[in-house]
Amino acid sequence: MPTTIHIKAFGMVAEKIGTNEMSIDHIGDSVKLLDALLVKFPELKTVKFSLAINKMLVSENQKIPENAEIALLPPFSGG
Amino acid sequence: MEKERRPKNIFVQGPISPESIAKSIANHGSKTDIGGHSIFLGQVRADAKAEGNVIAIDYSAYEAMALEKAFEIREAVFAKYPLNCMHIYHSLGEVKVGELCLFVFTSSKHRKAAMDACDELVERIKAELPVWGKEILDTQGHVWKLNT
Repeated sequence: MPTTIHIKAFGMVAEKIGTNEMSIDHIGDSVKLLDALLVKFPELKTVKFSLAINKMLVSENQKIPENAEIALLPPFSGG
Repeated sequence: MEKERRPKNIFVQGPISPESIAKSIANHGSKTDIGGHSIFLGQVRADAKAEGNVIAIDYSAYEAMALEKAFEIREAVFAKYPLNCMHIYHSLGEVKVGELCLFVFTSSKHRKAAMDACDELVERIKAELPVWGKEILDTQGHVWKLNT
């Protein structure tokens, strides 16, 4: 059984892609995942966002553990 | 005994009431080693945007990550300043203009630590917590808040 990645989207990113939650088949690292997301959701090319893997921000290419929780985070605007 | 520190909830549904702030201040009356408090209150501003006037902000968050991050910030600021107390509350959901959306409260023996810590907390909360504000406009549209 292929393992999956759980993806959560927030704020403007969720609005752009029309969903705030999805699961996809496992992808090995964060660069490959970004490529796949941009193919699946070309509208993501027009928004600025960061990736978090298991609640940690990704700054350079990182391996994605099985069953990881990925989040697509637009620039923070709390307060 | 060393007080156990673990992530605690900072989120409040809707606006933060002035009454809860007064109560929080009053609760410190028994802590007589405190000599100064510093408080920051964030209030929703009626900004005029090209698309319309802001009438409210609808806040959302990646709560699990935000609480972990808030805990990390709390620990770092406690380690840096000699504080007696620290409280952080942030709204989720709709907060209308003129209502409060952020309450940061620090207390220390002498004023400077409380003031500097409060300032640092507010800056880090705005920059590092995965929270988003959707500005609701009087034209029925919305724009996404940008922090400056």
